[in-house]
Amino acid sequence: MNILIPDSWLREYLKTKATPTQIKEYLSLCGPSVERINRVGKETIYDVEITSNRPDAMSLVGIAREGAAILPRFKVPATLTHDPYRTDTKALVEKYQKDGPKNLKIVTDPKLNPRFAAIVIDSVKVGPSPAWLRQKLEATGIRSLNNVIDITNYLMRAFGQPAHAFDFTQIKAQDGIPTMKLRSSRQGEKITTLEGKTHSLPGDDIVIEDGSGRLIDLCGIMGAENSSIKPQTQTVVLFLQTYDPSHIRRTSMALAQRTEAANLFEKGLDSELVLPALLTGIELVTEIAGGKVASRLYDLYPQPYQPTTVTVNREKIKAYLGVELGDGEIRAILTALGFTVNATSAHIVVTVPSWRSGDVTLDVDIIEEIARLYGFHKIASRLPASEPPVVLPDPDLTWEEEIKTRLRDWGYTETYTYSLISAQLMDIFSLDKNQTYKIANPLSSEWVYLRPSLVPSLLSAAKQNLAFRPDLRLFEISMIYSYRPGNLPAEIPTLIVAWSGREFPLAKGLAQAIFALLGVNFPVDIQPPTSTYYHHSRSLALGTWGQVGEVAPELLTKLAIKKPLTLLELNLAELIAKAKPGHTYQPLPKYPPSFEDLAFILPPQTYVGPIITALKGAHPLVANVELLDTHAQTRTLHITYLSNQRNLTAEDVRPVREKLVTIAQDKFGAKLKTA
Amino acid sequence: MTDKNEIIATPYFVGMALQVQEDALVQIEGSDAPVDELRLILLGPKSELAKLTKQIMNVNPADRGQVGTVINQVKQTIAEALRQKSQTTTSAARSEIGDWYDVSAPGVLPPGGHLHIVSQAIGEITRIFERIGFTRVRYPEVDWDWYPFASLNMPPNHPARDEWETFFVTFPGTPGHNPKKQKIVLTPHTSNGQVREMEKGKLPIRMINIAKCYRRQSDVSHVPMFHQFEGLYVDQGVSIAHLKGVLDYFVKQFFGPKREARIRPFHFQFTEPSFEVDISCGVCLGRARLPNGQGCKLCKEGWLELGGAGMVHPVVLANGGIETQKYNGFAFGWGIERTYMMKAGTKLDDVRLLYSGDIRFLEQF
Repeated sequence: MNILIPDSWLREYLKTKATPTQIKEYLSLCGPSVERINRVGKETIYDVEITSNRPDAMSLVGIAREGAAILPRFKVPATLTHDPYRTDTKALVEKYQKDGPKNLKIVTDPKLNPRFAAIVIDSVKVGPSPAWLRQKLEATGIRSLNNVIDITNYLMRAFGQPAHAFDFTQIKAQDGIPTMKLRSSRQGEKITTLEGKTHSLPGDDIVIEDGSGRLIDLCGIMGAENSSIKPQTQTVVLFLQTYDPSHIRRTSMALAQRTEAANLFEKGLDSELVLPALLTGIELVTEIAGGKVASRLYDLYPQPYQPTTVTVNREKIKAYLGVELGDGEIRAILTALGFTVNATSAHIVVTVPSWRSGDVTLDVDIIEEIARLYGFHKIASRLPASEPPVVLPDPDLTWEEEIKTRLRDWGYTETYTYSLISAQLMDIFSLDKNQTYKIANPLSSEWVYLRPSLVPSLLSAAKQNLAFRPDLRLFEISMIYSYRPGNLPAEIPTLIVAWSGREFPLAKGLAQAIFALLGVNFPVDIQPPTSTYYHHSRSLALGTWGQVGEVAPELLTKLAIKKPLTLLELNLAELIAKAKPGHTYQPLPKYPPSFEDLAFILPPQTYVGPIITALKGAHPLVANVELLDTHAQTRTLHITYLSNQRNLTAEDVRPVREKLVTIAQDKFGAKLKTA
Repeated sequence: MTDKNEIIATPYFVGMALQVQEDALVQIEGSDAPVDELRLILLGPKSELAKLTKQIMNVNPADRGQVGTVINQVKQTIAEALRQKSQTTTSAARSEIGDWYDVSAPGVLPPGGHLHIVSQAIGEITRIFERIGFTRVRYPEVDWDWYPFASLNMPPNHPARDEWETFFVTFPGTPGHNPKKQKIVLTPHTSNGQVREMEKGKLPIRMINIAKCYRRQSDVSHVPMFHQFEGLYVDQGVSIAHLKGVLDYFVKQFFGPKREARIRPFHFQFTEPSFEVDISCGVCLGRARLPNGQGCKLCKEGWLELGGAGMVHPVVLANGGIETQKYNGFAFGWGIERTYMMKAGTKLDDVRLLYSGDIRFLEQF
């Protein structure tokens, strides 16, 4: 949370000659981060970020306390003044022990509300605040409303303790006494808060009802309209409390009422601060709004704070800092922050001040305090000297990087598309929404479903780019999210490549190259893909690993794409699991190979793949068979003959050739074309 | 050439023979010399082929007959090429090609593909940490909320959860009884990998977890999907000095030797102490002033915020099944996109372009 700290107000609590620049720099290095210095007129205002574990520092006093501890570490003297914890409360409390003309009955539940303090003040004149108060509030970013409300906001900013004021006459009586009954709410109870909004409560919210049973406060978040201070109000109840933080948090989130008070209360405030803050409040209301105390001071605080202690091993301090600090220095640091220190030779026993009790509970919390005040910037920087663990790299990551690099070098361009797709895309691609993970709180209708396929995203990306590049070659490697009821999705790393145009041979060739890279045999079966995204005949399933082919024209029509597109999809997880990239040495041939080209005329619609496979395996002397040329029904095959025993003569090759021709003829009906 | 008495391996000899043949064919193709002259050079007694033939004696006796056949084939091939050459007249065009060539014409480029900058950055970051013994891992993007939250000392309804604008996933079916498996989220940071890495049960740990993360945000400097890298180091006697050492190492490797890292107090539920990591500005090098005395316009303060870090909280170690009396550690993690843009000075003014899929953008990297 960021708060604005006016320099002149800060110096009411922090006596120092430090310049604003010094305050900004030194506090940021050792404490809350002063992000900016704003100058407004003559005022210097610090914009300070205070982390959620330090509600005690979300105030002028809190920052002053940090300053008083930190600045002297940089040889700039500084002391904390007007510390509310040093207020002599006893004398003042005694003064307010007598009953006055007004009485209140307060009933509360200490589990929800550890401390409830209140007082009634009469003869109040509600009106504009004096200039000094208005200026202070405005400099810290709070709008001035009227003197009574301004005083409550002043208390919140000065001490970090929200305060509240009610119109006493609106608190209805029970048995003749105006009553405030703090309790947990029932589900569906209604309350209209002072900005005029009516809420139906989720239940188990902390509320106060009056003697007539109506709700007059949504505690810790906002007061109700019915009891709010009006211009004509003359009698006010000033009251300050602490609440169970998780209740405030839940209600504030459920109702989306993120007030500054809620922001403070949900982080856990110090009950010890309630009384000193209230006493300051009484002083201000009587002084500024002309009020007179009209009741005794009510203070319901059944379980006062019991200081806790934390024990820290000296060795551990040394281990964390990498340097040994003297006893004196540790003591000085902790004392400046309000801790009390008892040291033995091996341990330091630290008593935690009430305002840090929520945040400091472990030895490492104390180490943090010592380390930051010593100065993180002063701790030496050195790489660990210990032995690194022996860890085998994840083959998925290694191969994905390798494949991406190859694709780049082969002329493909990588894209990253969002993992989430719209309901509309799900429909166009006939994806089953009941078998797809859905975002419960989407940011936009574009990003709702965790994609079960990369095809919708990549076709969309291709479509978007067709106008820019006639020869598009895009790829992506990302997860697809496969549905598993009752479980997390299976995240499957998947490769998708898209080409503009009819590029089946390129697409299949790329698949072959990737299979070869991984040492996985390319599937020989001629099966169409199970996916309907592909052209019915110009496509091929690649075993269980993927599919390749032209995009189905109907799909292109649905997507309003006017140009043919070709796709390759590979399940990299499965492919990599089968990878056998090791290369076995083959003895170099002792004899030169001989070559021959055989042209076959194939019957219509004959696949050449099985012919090549059959011829390759037909005879041990056939080392390789490649498709050299395709023309009409003629396929010219380039045959390599090789023997490990001898030079091949025409006599050796002839019977082999005859066998090849016979196989092609008998099995496939292919006729050798003779010159 | 090899020593006279040295045995020449048969495949090597065959290779040499084929090389002689290849050289001869090239020479025949490219030469304007008369065919007779070429014949003398290529097949005559001082030819390379003749020299090779003499070395048949150095081949394993059992293979000599066979390599003899190879030499014969080579000889015939060369002779045939010479015969064909003698039938074609020397064309005027050839000599012209030999004399003049348009070296000013543009070259033929190799295929030009592009890796996305995020992939480039991931590769670079992975290599940097590999050199100091960190191994890259990857953990789920879609995870039980236990891992990115409760296991990291952020129980349900904890205010610290607000800092991450989290996407929740509608539960697929009915949750079982495991209290850690009741809610599914898109992980808003890579810290979900911390307890998952600890659960492997192997110590010490030097991990770099790089994965996609998701937050409900979209503006010029935020995208709902982005990448983070997370370092986790667990061992005995780990100090803040070690964390600083690793951060400094990374900053110098990634941003350049003149850049420095510094840590300042911060708060995370899963580290204690926690730090915010800054790097010195690349323009003013941390001085906030330029040599001409003017203030640095890029950073204003001399330092730029890089991300978060801290000493692993004992609760987190315990959730990962690690003995907190014996082991401790540090962790750090921040966005790949932001880190890369701070380095490269890409002048990218809208981070959403990274995921726009626009080829005109992708081809620039």
